[in-house]
Amino acid sequence: MKTESSVISRRDFIGKTAGGIGAGLVLGAPSILRASQDEAADKIHVALVGFGKQGKVLLDAMSNIPGLHFQAICDIWDYNLKGGIAKVRALQGHTPKGYADIDEMLATEKSLDAAIVATPDFWHSPHTIKCLEAGLHVYCEKMMANTIDAARAMVRAMEKTGKLCQIGHQRRSNPRYRYTLEQLIKGKNICGQIVNINGQWNRAVSSSQDIGYNPKLAIKPEILARYGFKDMHQFMNWRTYRDLSGGPISDLGAHQIDIFNWFLGVSPKSVFASGGNDYFKTREHFDNVMTIFDYETPQGGVRAFYQVLTTTSAGGGYYESFMGTEATINISERSAYTNIYRESSAPPWDDLVSRGFLKRQAAAPKVQSADAIASYESAAPEAYALPGDLSKPPHQPHLENFFDAVRGKAALNCDARHAFESEAPIYWVNPSALSRQPINLTAEHLSV
Amino acid sequence: MSNQSDDSCCSPKPCSDANKLALVFASLLLRLWLAMRAVQTGIEKFSGSKASQEAVAVDGTANTYGLTASASVKHYALDNYHGVPQALMEKFKAEPLMNETMLRLYDRALGPALILLGITILLGIASRVSHFALGLLYISLTWGLILIKQDEGVAWLGVHMIMIVAALALAGHNRFVLLKKW
Repeated sequence: MKTESSVISRRDFIGKTAGGIGAGLVLGAPSILRASQDEAADKIHVALVGFGKQGKVLLDAMSNIPGLHFQAICDIWDYNLKGGIAKVRALQGHTPKGYADIDEMLATEKSLDAAIVATPDFWHSPHTIKCLEAGLHVYCEKMMANTIDAARAMVRAMEKTGKLCQIGHQRRSNPRYRYTLEQLIKGKNICGQIVNINGQWNRAVSSSQDIGYNPKLAIKPEILARYGFKDMHQFMNWRTYRDLSGGPISDLGAHQIDIFNWFLGVSPKSVFASGGNDYFKTREHFDNVMTIFDYETPQGGVRAFYQVLTTTSAGGGYYESFMGTEATINISERSAYTNIYRESSAPPWDDLVSRGFLKRQAAAPKVQSADAIASYESAAPEAYALPGDLSKPPHQPHLENFFDAVRGKAALNCDARHAFESEAPIYWVNPSALSRQPINLTAEHLSV
Repeated sequence: MSNQSDDSCCSPKPCSDANKLALVFASLLLRLWLAMRAVQTGIEKFSGSKASQEAVAVDGTANTYGLTASASVKHYALDNYHGVPQALMEKFKAEPLMNETMLRLYDRALGPALILLGITILLGIASRVSHFALGLLYISLTWGLILIKQDEGVAWLGVHMIMIVAALALAGHNRFVLLKKW
């Protein structure tokens, strides 16, 4: 498979081939041979750019998607590169080409169709733009970039080259999220008016420690310097450095704040944040951040609170909670954290349950509590669940959507422009926390 | 008190028949426990879970979002094999004292080794050597857990070591064996 223009020629090819198959049938040609040729022509030739932890996650998710040929892997760390080559060889039966330098890879590999960019955040924009300009479609991990200007450049490059650029906000393709938005919030309006949002990603100190490495496998200092790292510690822990990433608010929070903006369908009007180095005192980025976004929606005002804490797992992991006058939807990429609560005053949902839109959870036991002041308390809401789950790795549907778009069978669920519109407010969280001032978000803050 | 010391097999005097039977039972119980622990732990390394692919029905028809039934089924297959859990594997790789080639070999050998030693202990094939080898295996696991500071796991394996030592101490009372030698 080739790039945009070749998508069209591929269609032509398929059309001609279909004709050929018809003629073959008439002439008694071995159609099985023709089918295998079609399959080879329909393969998407993929380069993996960056094969660290997230690169492995994405390859695992792609290993279930048919029709992909992993042609090349690029990583500056020989250890990652060799691991990636071995993994791909085990997966597809032959060895991909390995490169330490992306320019060399793009200059050598002329038959690539797409690139999967999973490098550190500050390399996302340069790598994505290089690949787009080389004629490849790109799937790039979120956060788009470590600066808003670098993210803007990605949108411009996508639109200038006409290539596809999907950003890795994988929840946008998650059936559980799509079903919740389209069927429950928009379709059945089960929340009533959404008045508040609460989201969090709380992670224990033990899971937030610096990542170690085997000194024997360290990258040479001159190579690290060439690619913007001052030492091996910075290479392994780039997420904690200001010049290389946006810190926990973009690293963990971007996924969830994206859901706020996607579900509400508007951008926030202001952001006010507070952060600190409460435990990891020497890190450049805040280890704990709390943020309030103000939205104006057609239904009315909405305040959204988001916290990312890398110092405690208190409060039950990571989820987004959409609080409405008739129901609250707690949704998470993890099914276990997902619950829907109907307000006692809302219309009954028996019909929705009987038709399979929702599942009723076991009722919570009623407790007569001496410390409750009955006249101030609301009746306990009933708990419900989504009717089904996602039975694939969480990144797989988003990658499937990307490859379907490359084949011309779907539109991207999160192209760079839509991702930018959703990510733009996140770039203003750290400045607000640093200045301890709210920031009113204008078109200048949020537009490309 | 004097009766107890007379009956004790720790005393220089010979054991009574009743105590001999108790020691045979003790040996057998330890053997069964250690064998079961090793065999099932080895088998679990071939386990995985398979999520349901059945699309759930919404409003009378299969949904088009890709929502599937929540149930997942545990199953066993050679393809599922993972000797060292993935999360620990990454931590071990980052340890300077850990040789990666050896780690990879260890990862491949651990499951089969546990099953093999469990079976030899269960069937009573060279019980002393089998128990000793299982002890060495647990020591190797302990070393790995010390490296990554998993103190609870170290203590847990320490309990296993005490049981293996007890099984070796009771080796003279081991019965129902296929190969008594070694």
